[in-house]
Amino acid sequence: MESGERNAHTSPAGAMDELAQATARPTAQKAARAASSDNDAGRLTLDNVSARYGAFRAVKDVTLAVRPKSVTALIGPSGCGKSTLIRTINRMHETLPGATVSGSITLDGVDLYSSNVDPVRARRVVGMVFQKPNPFPTMSISENVSSGLRLTGGTSKSEIEGIVEDSLRRAALWDEVKEKLNQPGTSLSGGQQQRLCIARTIAVKPRVVLMDEPCSALDPVATLKIEELIRDLAAEYTIVIVTHNMQQASRVSDETAFFSMDDDRAGYLVETGPTAEMFTNPKQALTEGYIQGRFG
Amino acid sequence: MSISTGSIAKLLTEPTSGERTRQRVNLVMRVLVGIAAFLAILPLVALIVFVVLKAAPYLVPSFFANNPLDTEPGILNAIVGSLQLSGLTVLISGPIGIAGGVFLSEFASPRVVAIGETAIDVMLGVPSIVAGVFAYLILVPVLGFSGWAAVAALSILTLPIMMRSTQEVLRLVPQAIREASLALGVPVWKTALFVSVRTALPGILTGVILAFSRALGETAPLLMTARGTNAENWLDFSTTMNAMPIVIYQYSNAASDLLIGQAWATALVLMTIALTINVLVRGRTVNSRTA
Repeated sequence: MESGERNAHTSPAGAMDELAQATARPTAQKAARAASSDNDAGRLTLDNVSARYGAFRAVKDVTLAVRPKSVTALIGPSGCGKSTLIRTINRMHETLPGATVSGSITLDGVDLYSSNVDPVRARRVVGMVFQKPNPFPTMSISENVSSGLRLTGGTSKSEIEGIVEDSLRRAALWDEVKEKLNQPGTSLSGGQQQRLCIARTIAVKPRVVLMDEPCSALDPVATLKIEELIRDLAAEYTIVIVTHNMQQASRVSDETAFFSMDDDRAGYLVETGPTAEMFTNPKQALTEGYIQGRFG
Repeated sequence: MSISTGSIAKLLTEPTSGERTRQRVNLVMRVLVGIAAFLAILPLVALIVFVVLKAAPYLVPSFFANNPLDTEPGILNAIVGSLQLSGLTVLISGPIGIAGGVFLSEFASPRVVAIGETAIDVMLGVPSIVAGVFAYLILVPVLGFSGWAAVAALSILTLPIMMRSTQEVLRLVPQAIREASLALGVPVWKTALFVSVRTALPGILTGVILAFSRALGETAPLLMTARGTNAENWLDFSTTMNAMPIVIYQYSNAASDLLIGQAWATALVLMTIALTINVLVRGRTVNSRTA
Protein backbone atom coordinates (compact mmCIF):
# COMPACT_ATOMS: atom_id res chain seq x y z
CA MET A 1 0.00 0.00 0.00
CA GLU A 2 2.94 2.18 0.59
CA SER A 3 3.87 2.51 -3.06
CA GLY A 4 0.24 2.50 -4.14
CA GLU A 5 -0.52 5.59 -2.14
CA ARG A 6 2.59 7.37 -3.15
CA ASN A 7 1.74 6.83 -6.78
CA ALA A 8 -1.72 8.30 -6.60
CA HIS A 9 -1.85 12.04 -7.04
CA THR A 10 -5.45 11.88 -5.91
CA SER A 11 -4.47 10.93 -2.38
CA PRO A 12 -2.60 13.95 -1.09
CA ALA A 13 -2.43 12.70 2.47
CA GLY A 14 -0.96 9.35 1.53
CA ALA A 15 2.57 10.21 2.38
CA MET A 16 1.50 11.77 5.63
CA ASP A 17 -0.22 8.55 6.62
CA GLU A 18 2.92 6.79 5.65
CA LEU A 19 4.99 9.10 7.77
CA ALA A 20 2.56 8.78 10.65
CA GLN A 21 2.71 5.02 10.55
CA ALA A 22 6.42 5.25 10.94
CA THR A 23 5.76 6.88 14.28
CA ALA A 24 4.25 4.53 16.80
CA ARG A 25 2.50 7.32 18.66
CA PRO A 26 -1.27 7.02 18.36
CA THR A 27 -1.83 10.74 18.82
CA ALA A 28 0.29 11.48 15.78
CA GLN A 29 -1.66 9.00 13.73
CA LYS A 30 -4.90 10.53 14.80
CA ALA A 31 -3.66 13.97 13.91
CA ALA A 32 -2.55 12.80 10.51
CA ARG A 33 -5.89 11.14 9.83
CA ALA A 34 -7.74 14.25 10.88
CA ALA A 35 -5.60 16.31 8.58
CA SER A 36 -6.19 14.03 5.60
CA SER A 37 -9.93 13.92 6.12
CA ASP A 38 -10.43 17.66 5.70
CA ASN A 39 -8.13 17.62 2.68
CA ASP A 40 -6.02 20.24 4.31
CA ALA A 41 -2.82 18.24 4.28
CA GLY A 42 0.57 19.88 4.35
CA ARG A 43 0.27 22.14 7.38
CA LEU A 44 3.72 22.93 8.61
CA THR A 45 4.36 24.24 12.10
CA LEU A 46 7.72 25.40 13.33
CA ASP A 47 7.96 25.77 17.07
CA ASN A 48 10.98 27.39 18.69
CA VAL A 49 13.32 26.11 16.01
CA SER A 50 17.02 26.83 16.45
CA ALA A 51 19.74 25.61 14.12
CA ARG A 52 23.42 25.44 14.92
CA TYR A 53 26.66 24.83 13.10
CA GLY A 54 28.76 23.46 15.94
CA ALA A 55 28.60 26.11 18.64
CA PHE A 56 27.42 28.87 16.30
CA ARG A 57 23.68 29.44 16.34
CA ALA A 58 22.57 30.47 12.86
CA VAL A 59 18.83 30.47 13.53
CA LYS A 60 17.21 31.12 16.87
CA ASP A 61 13.76 30.40 18.23
CA VAL A 62 11.72 30.59 15.06
CA THR A 63 8.04 29.92 15.55
CA LEU A 64 6.10 29.96 12.33
CA ALA A 65 2.89 28.42 11.02
CA VAL A 66 2.85 27.68 7.30
CA ARG A 67 -0.58 27.43 5.71
CA PRO A 68 -1.14 24.30 3.62
CA LYS A 69 -1.31 24.65 -0.17
CA SER A 70 0.03 28.16 -0.18
CA VAL A 71 3.30 29.89 -0.90
CA THR A 72 5.23 31.29 2.04
CA ALA A 73 8.21 33.51 1.23
CA LEU A 74 11.13 33.89 3.60
CA ILE A 75 12.85 37.22 3.06
CA GLY A 76 15.59 39.08 4.86
CA PRO A 77 19.19 40.22 4.50
CA SER A 78 21.99 37.82 3.58
CA GLY A 79 23.25 35.61 6.36
CA CYS A 80 20.11 35.77 8.47
CA GLY A 81 19.61 32.02 8.36
CA LYS A 82 16.76 31.67 5.86
CA SER A 83 18.45 28.89 3.91
CA THR A 84 19.55 27.20 7.09
CA LEU A 85 16.00 27.33 8.36
CA ILE A 86 14.40 25.69 5.34
CA ARG A 87 17.09 23.03 5.37
CA THR A 88 15.92 22.08 8.85
CA ILE A 89 12.43 21.38 7.47
CA ASN A 90 13.53 18.46 5.29
CA ARG A 91 16.26 17.43 7.74
CA MET A 92 19.04 18.34 5.31
CA HIS A 93 20.68 20.63 7.84
CA GLU A 94 21.82 17.72 9.98
CA THR A 95 23.71 16.13 7.06
CA LEU A 96 26.46 18.72 7.53
CA PRO A 97 29.13 17.84 10.07
CA GLY A 98 28.41 19.39 13.47
CA ALA A 99 25.03 20.76 12.45
CA THR A 100 22.19 20.36 14.94
CA VAL A 101 18.55 21.42 15.27
CA SER A 102 16.43 22.03 18.35
CA GLY A 103 12.75 22.85 18.75
CA SER A 104 10.05 21.02 16.86
CA ILE A 105 8.82 20.99 13.29
CA THR A 106 5.53 19.24 12.73
CA LEU A 107 3.82 18.36 9.49
CA ASP A 108 0.10 17.68 9.94
CA GLY A 109 0.74 16.97 13.57
CA VAL A 110 3.67 14.59 13.08
CA ASP A 111 6.96 15.77 14.53
CA LEU A 112 9.50 15.43 11.73
CA TYR A 113 12.24 15.16 14.35
CA SER A 114 10.52 12.46 16.35
CA SER A 115 12.83 9.51 16.92
CA ASN A 116 10.42 7.35 14.94
CA VAL A 117 10.66 9.42 11.78
CA ASP A 118 13.48 8.30 9.50
CA PRO A 119 15.09 11.41 7.97
CA VAL A 120 15.13 9.64 4.60
CA ARG A 121 11.35 9.32 4.77
CA ALA A 122 10.94 12.91 5.93
CA ARG A 123 12.86 14.03 2.82
CA ARG A 124 10.50 12.07 0.61
CA VAL A 125 7.56 13.96 2.04
CA VAL A 126 9.31 17.34 2.09
CA GLY A 127 10.98 17.93 -1.28
CA MET A 128 13.55 20.60 -2.04
CA VAL A 129 14.68 22.68 -5.01
CA PHE A 130 18.13 24.20 -4.69
CA GLN A 131 19.63 27.56 -5.57
CA LYS A 132 21.69 26.30 -8.48
CA PRO A 133 20.05 23.83 -10.84
CA ASN A 134 21.65 20.48 -9.99
CA PRO A 135 20.49 17.78 -12.40
CA PHE A 136 22.42 14.50 -12.16
CA PRO A 137 25.14 14.83 -14.81
CA THR A 138 25.19 11.13 -15.70
CA MET A 139 21.45 10.88 -16.27
CA SER A 140 19.20 11.73 -19.20
CA ILE A 141 16.29 14.16 -18.86
CA SER A 142 13.86 11.32 -18.30
CA GLU A 143 16.19 9.49 -15.89
CA ASN A 144 16.63 12.69 -13.90
CA VAL A 145 12.89 12.97 -13.38
CA SER A 146 12.53 9.31 -12.44
CA SER A 147 15.72 9.23 -10.33
CA GLY A 148 13.96 9.61 -6.99
CA LEU A 149 11.47 6.87 -7.82
CA ARG A 150 14.07 4.51 -9.20
CA LEU A 151 16.52 5.04 -6.34
CA THR A 152 13.93 4.69 -3.62
CA GLY A 153 12.27 1.68 -5.24
CA GLY A 154 8.69 0.46 -5.05
CA THR A 155 7.52 1.92 -8.36
CA SER A 156 7.12 -0.26 -11.45
CA LYS A 157 8.68 0.67 -14.79
CA SER A 158 5.33 1.21 -16.47
CA GLU A 159 4.18 3.57 -13.74
CA ILE A 160 7.44 5.48 -13.89
CA GLU A 161 6.96 6.35 -17.55
CA GLY A 162 3.60 7.95 -16.82
CA ILE A 163 4.93 9.80 -13.79
CA VAL A 164 7.85 11.21 -15.82
CA GLU A 165 5.49 12.72 -18.38
CA ASP A 166 3.08 13.94 -15.73
CA SER A 167 5.85 15.58 -13.68
CA LEU A 168 7.38 17.25 -16.71
CA ARG A 169 3.96 18.61 -17.68
CA ARG A 170 3.41 19.96 -14.19
CA ALA A 171 6.83 21.57 -14.32
CA ALA A 172 5.84 23.21 -17.65
CA LEU A 173 8.79 21.55 -19.37
CA TRP A 174 7.17 18.69 -21.29
CA ASP A 175 6.66 20.52 -24.59
CA GLU A 176 10.26 21.65 -24.65
CA VAL A 177 11.82 18.26 -23.95
CA LYS A 178 9.37 15.58 -25.14
CA GLU A 179 11.43 15.01 -28.30
CA LYS A 180 14.72 14.59 -26.44
CA LEU A 181 13.99 12.74 -23.23
CA ASN A 182 17.11 10.63 -23.63
CA GLN A 183 19.52 13.53 -23.90
CA PRO A 184 21.57 14.46 -20.84
CA GLY A 185 19.81 16.66 -18.30
CA THR A 186 22.80 18.96 -18.31
CA SER A 187 22.25 19.75 -22.02
CA LEU A 188 19.31 21.98 -21.12
CA SER A 189 19.51 25.72 -20.44
CA GLY A 190 19.74 26.95 -16.85
CA GLY A 191 16.03 27.77 -16.61
CA GLN A 192 15.07 24.43 -18.14
CA GLN A 193 17.43 22.64 -15.78
CA GLN A 194 15.75 24.27 -12.82
CA ARG A 195 12.33 23.22 -14.08
CA LEU A 196 13.79 19.74 -14.57
CA CYS A 197 14.85 19.79 -10.93
CA ILE A 198 11.33 20.85 -9.96
CA ALA A 199 9.91 17.98 -12.04
CA ARG A 200 12.34 15.62 -10.32
CA THR A 201 11.22 16.90 -6.93
CA ILE A 202 7.49 16.56 -7.55
CA ALA A 203 7.90 13.15 -9.21
CA VAL A 204 8.36 11.56 -5.77
CA LYS A 205 5.08 13.22 -4.71
CA PRO A 206 6.10 15.28 -1.73
CA ARG A 207 3.54 17.22 0.27
CA VAL A 208 5.78 20.19 0.93
CA VAL A 209 8.22 21.72 -1.57
CA LEU A 210 11.05 23.87 -0.25
CA MET A 211 12.76 26.27 -2.64
CA ASP A 212 16.06 27.89 -1.75
CA GLU A 213 16.39 30.95 -3.99
CA PRO A 214 15.37 28.88 -7.01
CA CYS A 215 15.72 31.76 -9.47
CA SER A 216 18.89 33.47 -8.30
CA ALA A 217 20.98 31.75 -10.99
CA LEU A 218 18.47 32.41 -13.77
CA ASP A 219 17.75 35.18 -16.25
CA PRO A 220 14.53 37.26 -15.95
CA VAL A 221 12.58 35.27 -18.57
CA ALA A 222 13.39 31.94 -16.94
CA THR A 223 12.64 33.49 -13.55
CA LEU A 224 9.17 34.52 -14.68
CA LYS A 225 8.47 31.00 -15.92
CA ILE A 226 9.51 29.48 -12.61
CA GLU A 227 7.38 32.00 -10.74
CA GLU A 228 4.31 31.07 -12.80
CA LEU A 229 5.10 27.46 -12.07
CA ILE A 230 5.32 28.13 -8.35
CA ARG A 231 1.86 29.68 -8.41
CA ASP A 232 0.48 26.62 -10.24
CA LEU A 233 2.15 24.20 -7.86
CA ALA A 234 0.68 26.00 -4.85
CA ALA A 235 -2.68 24.43 -5.70
CA GLU A 236 -1.30 21.07 -4.66
CA TYR A 237 1.74 21.62 -2.49
CA THR A 238 2.71 23.64 0.51
CA ILE A 239 5.56 25.77 -0.76
CA VAL A 240 8.21 27.57 1.28
CA ILE A 241 10.50 29.75 -0.79
CA VAL A 242 13.60 31.68 0.23
CA THR A 243 14.19 34.72 -1.93
CA HIS A 244 16.38 37.79 -2.01
CA ASN A 245 14.17 39.38 -4.55
CA MET A 246 11.47 41.51 -2.95
CA GLN A 247 9.43 41.73 -6.15
CA GLN A 248 9.55 37.97 -6.41
CA ALA A 249 8.25 37.58 -2.88
CA SER A 250 5.37 39.94 -3.62
CA ARG A 251 4.57 38.23 -6.92
CA VAL A 252 4.55 34.60 -5.84
CA SER A 253 3.78 34.40 -2.15
CA ASP A 254 0.62 34.40 -0.09
CA GLU A 255 2.42 34.85 3.20
CA THR A 256 5.72 36.52 3.88
CA ALA A 257 8.03 35.98 6.82
CA PHE A 258 10.71 38.57 7.41
CA PHE A 259 13.97 37.54 9.08
CA SER A 260 16.79 39.59 10.42
CA MET A 261 20.07 39.08 12.17
CA ASP A 262 20.67 39.76 15.84
CA ASP A 263 23.85 41.17 17.36
CA ASP A 264 25.06 37.60 17.95
CA ARG A 265 24.68 36.96 14.19
CA ALA A 266 21.82 34.56 14.81
CA GLY A 267 18.87 34.87 12.43
CA TYR A 268 15.43 35.39 13.94
CA LEU A 269 11.92 35.92 12.70
CA VAL A 270 10.90 39.59 12.89
CA GLU A 271 7.32 39.27 11.73
CA THR A 272 5.07 37.32 9.46
CA GLY A 273 1.75 38.01 7.77
CA PRO A 274 -0.15 38.03 4.49
CA THR A 275 2.19 39.24 1.76
CA ALA A 276 0.04 42.18 0.69
CA GLU A 277 -0.07 43.44 4.24
CA MET A 278 3.64 42.93 4.83
CA PHE A 279 4.54 44.97 1.78
CA THR A 280 2.06 47.79 2.29
CA ASN A 281 1.68 48.02 6.00
CA PRO A 282 4.38 46.18 7.96
CA LYS A 283 4.06 46.31 11.71
CA GLN A 284 7.76 46.53 12.49
CA ALA A 285 9.95 49.45 11.52
CA LEU A 286 12.74 46.97 10.71
CA THR A 287 10.56 45.24 8.11
CA GLU A 288 9.52 48.53 6.59
CA GLY A 289 13.12 49.64 6.31
CA TYR A 290 14.17 46.44 4.58
CA ILE A 291 11.27 46.39 2.17
CA GLN A 292 11.84 50.01 1.20
CA GLY A 293 15.48 49.21 0.56
CA ARG A 294 16.94 51.22 3.42
CA PHE A 295 19.18 48.32 4.49
CA GLY A 296 20.05 44.71 3.70
CA MET B 1 45.96 68.01 -14.66
CA SER B 2 45.83 67.90 -18.42
CA ILE B 3 48.47 66.15 -20.45
CA SER B 4 49.09 67.15 -24.02
CA THR B 5 48.76 64.54 -26.78
CA GLY B 6 52.45 64.72 -27.50
CA SER B 7 53.44 63.78 -23.97
CA ILE B 8 51.05 60.80 -23.96
CA ALA B 9 52.70 59.44 -27.09
CA LYS B 10 56.06 59.93 -25.46
CA LEU B 11 54.84 58.25 -22.28
CA LEU B 12 53.68 55.22 -24.22
CA THR B 13 56.59 54.73 -26.59
CA GLU B 14 59.76 55.97 -24.98
CA PRO B 15 61.21 53.35 -22.60
CA THR B 16 62.95 54.42 -19.44
CA SER B 17 66.27 52.89 -18.45
CA GLY B 18 64.58 50.81 -15.75
CA GLU B 19 62.28 49.31 -18.33
CA ARG B 20 65.19 48.44 -20.62
CA THR B 21 66.82 46.54 -17.76
CA ARG B 22 63.58 44.74 -17.06
CA GLN B 23 63.26 43.71 -20.70
CA ARG B 24 66.83 42.38 -20.74
CA VAL B 25 66.32 40.42 -17.51
CA ASN B 26 63.12 39.08 -18.95
CA LEU B 27 64.90 37.81 -22.04
CA VAL B 28 67.69 36.14 -20.03
CA MET B 29 65.22 34.46 -17.76
CA ARG B 30 63.18 33.14 -20.66
CA VAL B 31 66.26 31.63 -22.24
CA LEU B 32 67.32 30.09 -18.92
CA VAL B 33 63.99 28.38 -18.21
CA GLY B 34 63.87 27.28 -21.85
CA ILE B 35 67.24 25.56 -21.45
CA ALA B 36 66.11 23.98 -18.18
CA ALA B 37 62.99 22.62 -19.86
CA PHE B 38 65.09 21.23 -22.70
CA LEU B 39 67.46 19.54 -20.22
CA ALA B 40 64.50 17.96 -18.49
CA ILE B 41 63.16 16.49 -21.71
CA LEU B 42 66.57 15.40 -23.01
CA PRO B 43 66.87 12.17 -20.95
CA LEU B 44 63.39 11.13 -22.04
CA VAL B 45 64.22 11.64 -25.70
CA ALA B 46 67.62 9.95 -25.29
CA LEU B 47 65.97 7.04 -23.52
CA ILE B 48 63.39 6.48 -26.22
CA VAL B 49 65.92 6.87 -29.05
CA PHE B 50 68.37 4.46 -27.41
CA VAL B 51 65.80 1.80 -26.58
CA VAL B 52 64.28 1.94 -30.06
CA LEU B 53 67.66 1.77 -31.82
CA LYS B 54 68.98 -1.04 -29.64
CA ALA B 55 65.72 -2.99 -29.71
CA ALA B 56 64.85 -2.69 -33.41
CA PRO B 57 67.05 -5.55 -34.74
CA TYR B 58 65.55 -7.99 -32.27
CA LEU B 59 61.89 -7.24 -32.90
CA VAL B 60 61.10 -10.26 -35.06
CA PRO B 61 57.87 -12.29 -35.00
CA SER B 62 59.53 -15.18 -33.14
CA PHE B 63 60.45 -12.78 -30.33
CA PHE B 64 56.75 -12.37 -29.57
CA ALA B 65 55.64 -15.90 -30.46
CA ASN B 66 58.24 -18.11 -28.76
CA ASN B 67 59.48 -18.86 -25.27
CA PRO B 68 63.08 -18.44 -24.04
CA LEU B 69 64.17 -22.07 -24.60
CA ASP B 70 62.80 -22.39 -28.15
CA THR B 71 65.32 -22.56 -30.99
CA GLU B 72 64.41 -19.02 -31.95
CA PRO B 73 63.94 -17.67 -28.42
CA GLY B 74 61.30 -15.10 -27.54
CA ILE B 75 59.56 -13.62 -24.51
CA LEU B 76 55.99 -14.77 -25.01
CA ASN B 77 55.88 -16.26 -21.52
CA ALA B 78 57.07 -12.99 -19.99
CA ILE B 79 54.42 -10.93 -21.79
CA VAL B 80 51.73 -13.41 -20.79
CA GLY B 81 53.07 -13.54 -17.23
CA SER B 82 53.21 -9.75 -16.82
CA LEU B 83 49.66 -9.30 -18.05
CA GLN B 84 48.39 -12.07 -15.77
CA LEU B 85 50.21 -10.77 -12.69
CA SER B 86 49.09 -7.17 -13.23
CA GLY B 87 45.58 -8.28 -14.17
CA LEU B 88 45.07 -10.35 -11.04
CA THR B 89 46.67 -7.62 -8.92
CA VAL B 90 44.11 -5.12 -10.20
CA LEU B 91 41.28 -7.61 -9.76
CA ILE B 92 42.22 -7.99 -6.10
CA SER B 93 43.34 -4.48 -5.14
CA GLY B 94 40.76 -2.75 -7.37
CA PRO B 95 37.57 -3.65 -5.51
CA ILE B 96 39.19 -3.26 -2.09
CA GLY B 97 40.87 0.03 -3.01
CA ILE B 98 37.74 1.47 -4.61
CA ALA B 99 35.60 0.44 -1.63
CA GLY B 100 38.15 2.02 0.71
CA GLY B 101 38.18 5.24 -1.29
CA VAL B 102 34.37 5.36 -1.32
CA PHE B 103 34.35 4.85 2.44
CA LEU B 104 36.82 7.69 3.03
CA SER B 105 35.03 10.07 0.69
CA GLU B 106 31.37 9.31 1.42
CA PHE B 107 31.03 7.78 4.86
CA ALA B 108 33.99 8.42 7.13
CA SER B 109 34.02 11.17 9.74
CA PRO B 110 36.68 13.88 9.32
CA ARG B 111 38.77 12.22 12.05
CA VAL B 112 38.73 8.85 10.34
CA VAL B 113 39.48 10.53 7.01
CA ALA B 114 42.59 12.12 8.51
CA ILE B 115 43.77 8.75 9.84
CA GLY B 116 42.96 7.02 6.55
CA GLU B 117 44.77 9.61 4.47
CA THR B 118 47.87 9.34 6.63
CA ALA B 119 47.77 5.57 6.24
CA ILE B 120 47.50 5.94 2.46
CA ASP B 121 50.43 8.36 2.42
CA VAL B 122 52.55 5.91 4.38
CA MET B 123 51.57 3.05 2.11
CA LEU B 124 52.29 5.12 -0.99
CA GLY B 125 55.74 5.78 0.43
CA VAL B 126 56.56 2.08 0.91
CA PRO B 127 59.45 1.32 -1.48
CA SER B 128 58.65 -1.60 -3.75
CA ILE B 129 61.64 -3.55 -2.43
CA VAL B 130 60.06 -3.44 1.03
CA ALA B 131 56.84 -4.93 -0.31
CA GLY B 132 59.04 -7.52 -2.01
CA VAL B 133 60.94 -8.36 1.15
CA PHE B 134 57.66 -8.71 3.03
CA ALA B 135 56.34 -11.17 0.46
CA TYR B 136 59.70 -12.96 0.24
CA LEU B 137 60.12 -13.51 3.97
CA ILE B 138 56.49 -14.03 4.97
CA LEU B 139 54.68 -15.48 1.96
CA VAL B 140 57.34 -17.29 -0.05
CA PRO B 141 58.16 -19.73 2.80
CA VAL B 142 54.48 -20.75 2.76
CA LEU B 143 53.52 -20.43 -0.91
CA GLY B 144 56.93 -20.92 -2.51
CA PHE B 145 58.18 -18.73 -5.36
CA SER B 146 54.85 -18.13 -7.03
CA GLY B 147 52.47 -15.86 -8.84
CA TRP B 148 50.38 -15.60 -5.67
CA ALA B 149 53.26 -14.17 -3.67
CA ALA B 150 53.97 -11.74 -6.52
CA VAL B 151 50.34 -10.66 -6.71
CA ALA B 152 50.30 -10.11 -2.95
CA ALA B 153 53.39 -7.89 -3.12
CA LEU B 154 52.02 -5.96 -6.11
CA SER B 155 48.66 -5.51 -4.39
CA ILE B 156 50.35 -3.91 -1.39
CA LEU B 157 51.77 -1.37 -3.82
CA THR B 158 48.64 -0.72 -5.89
CA LEU B 159 46.09 -0.67 -3.07
CA PRO B 160 46.93 2.85 -1.83
CA ILE B 161 47.01 4.10 -5.43
CA MET B 162 43.48 2.83 -5.97
CA MET B 163 42.22 4.28 -2.70
CA ARG B 164 43.78 7.65 -3.31
CA SER B 165 42.59 8.00 -6.88
CA THR B 166 39.06 6.90 -6.00
CA GLN B 167 38.88 9.28 -3.06
CA GLU B 168 40.19 12.12 -5.16
CA VAL B 169 37.77 11.77 -8.07
CA LEU B 170 34.88 11.41 -5.63
CA ARG B 171 35.97 14.66 -4.04
CA LEU B 172 35.43 16.32 -7.43
CA VAL B 173 31.75 15.29 -7.45
CA PRO B 174 29.88 18.47 -6.47
CA GLN B 175 28.21 18.36 -3.06
CA ALA B 176 25.09 19.78 -4.76
CA ILE B 177 24.63 16.49 -6.62
CA ARG B 178 24.70 14.49 -3.37
CA GLU B 179 22.28 16.93 -1.73
CA ALA B 180 19.93 16.68 -4.69
CA SER B 181 19.80 12.93 -4.19
CA LEU B 182 19.43 13.06 -0.40
CA ALA B 183 16.66 15.65 -0.74
CA LEU B 184 14.71 13.21 -2.91
CA GLY B 185 14.63 10.80 0.01
CA VAL B 186 17.32 8.54 -1.39
CA PRO B 187 19.22 6.71 1.38
CA VAL B 188 22.86 7.64 1.94
CA TRP B 189 24.30 4.36 0.66
CA LYS B 190 22.28 4.52 -2.54
CA THR B 191 23.33 8.14 -3.02
CA ALA B 192 26.96 7.11 -2.59
CA LEU B 193 26.69 4.23 -5.02
CA PHE B 194 24.26 5.36 -7.72
CA VAL B 195 24.97 9.08 -7.67
CA SER B 196 28.49 9.83 -6.37
CA VAL B 197 30.30 6.74 -7.63
CA ARG B 198 28.28 6.71 -10.84
CA THR B 199 29.27 10.31 -11.53
CA ALA B 200 32.93 9.64 -10.74
CA LEU B 201 33.06 6.30 -12.54
CA PRO B 202 35.24 7.38 -15.52
CA GLY B 203 37.81 8.77 -13.09
CA ILE B 204 37.71 5.66 -10.90
CA LEU B 205 38.32 3.43 -13.93
CA THR B 206 41.21 5.65 -14.93
CA GLY B 207 42.71 4.94 -11.51
CA VAL B 208 42.33 1.20 -12.09
CA ILE B 209 44.14 1.42 -15.41
CA LEU B 210 46.97 3.51 -13.95
CA ALA B 211 47.35 0.96 -11.12
CA PHE B 212 47.58 -1.75 -13.77
CA SER B 213 50.36 0.07 -15.57
CA ARG B 214 52.18 0.64 -12.27
CA ALA B 215 52.02 -3.10 -11.48
CA LEU B 216 53.28 -3.87 -14.97
CA GLY B 217 56.54 -2.03 -14.41
CA GLU B 218 57.39 -3.22 -10.88
CA THR B 219 60.57 -5.27 -10.78
CA ALA B 220 61.99 -5.76 -7.30
CA PRO B 221 58.99 -7.57 -5.76
CA LEU B 222 58.80 -9.88 -8.78
CA LEU B 223 62.45 -10.93 -8.54
CA MET B 224 61.79 -11.99 -4.96
CA THR B 225 58.46 -13.75 -5.59
CA ALA B 226 57.54 -14.88 -9.11
CA ARG B 227 61.29 -15.18 -9.81
CA GLY B 228 60.97 -15.93 -13.51
CA THR B 229 60.88 -19.14 -15.47
CA ASN B 230 61.51 -20.33 -18.99
CA ALA B 231 58.20 -22.15 -19.14
CA GLU B 232 54.94 -20.73 -20.36
CA ASN B 233 52.51 -20.36 -17.47
CA TRP B 234 48.82 -19.79 -18.04
CA LEU B 235 46.90 -18.93 -14.89
CA ASP B 236 48.86 -21.22 -12.57
CA PHE B 237 49.66 -18.70 -9.88
CA SER B 238 50.91 -21.35 -7.50
CA THR B 239 54.23 -21.72 -9.29
CA THR B 240 56.91 -19.45 -10.73
CA MET B 241 55.95 -17.03 -13.49
CA ASN B 242 57.95 -15.04 -15.95
CA ALA B 243 57.46 -11.29 -16.34
CA MET B 244 58.95 -8.60 -18.57
CA PRO B 245 60.79 -6.69 -15.83
CA ILE B 246 62.42 -9.96 -14.69
CA VAL B 247 63.52 -10.70 -18.26
CA ILE B 248 64.99 -7.22 -18.65
CA TYR B 249 66.92 -7.53 -15.39
CA GLN B 250 68.26 -11.03 -16.01
CA TYR B 251 69.06 -10.68 -19.73
CA SER B 252 70.91 -7.41 -19.34
CA ASN B 253 73.40 -9.23 -17.08
CA ALA B 254 73.81 -12.06 -19.58
CA ALA B 255 77.02 -12.71 -21.53
CA SER B 256 75.28 -12.99 -24.85
CA ASP B 257 74.59 -10.32 -27.44
CA LEU B 258 71.29 -11.96 -28.29
CA LEU B 259 70.05 -11.85 -24.71
CA ILE B 260 71.25 -8.28 -24.16
CA GLY B 261 69.50 -7.30 -27.37
CA GLN B 262 66.36 -9.05 -26.19
CA ALA B 263 66.57 -7.13 -22.92
CA TRP B 264 66.40 -3.90 -24.95
CA ALA B 265 63.55 -5.28 -27.02
CA THR B 266 61.61 -6.33 -23.91
CA ALA B 267 62.15 -2.87 -22.46
CA LEU B 268 60.65 -1.39 -25.62
CA VAL B 269 57.61 -3.68 -25.41
CA LEU B 270 57.04 -2.84 -21.75
CA MET B 271 57.50 0.87 -22.39
CA THR B 272 55.12 0.79 -25.35
CA ILE B 273 52.39 -0.92 -23.35
CA ALA B 274 52.75 1.47 -20.39
CA LEU B 275 52.92 4.52 -22.65
CA THR B 276 49.90 3.43 -24.66
CA ILE B 277 47.88 2.95 -21.49
CA ASN B 278 48.88 6.36 -20.18
CA VAL B 279 48.09 8.12 -23.42
CA LEU B 280 44.72 6.37 -23.71
CA VAL B 281 43.84 7.26 -20.14
CA ARG B 282 44.89 10.85 -20.68
CA GLY B 283 42.70 11.10 -23.77
CA ARG B 284 39.78 9.64 -21.85
CA THR B 285 40.12 12.02 -18.94
CA VAL B 286 40.37 15.05 -21.17
CA ASN B 287 37.30 13.91 -23.10
CA SER B 288 35.19 13.27 -20.04
CA ARG B 289 36.17 16.64 -18.63
CA THR B 290 35.07 18.56 -21.69
CA ALA B 291 31.95 16.48 -22.32
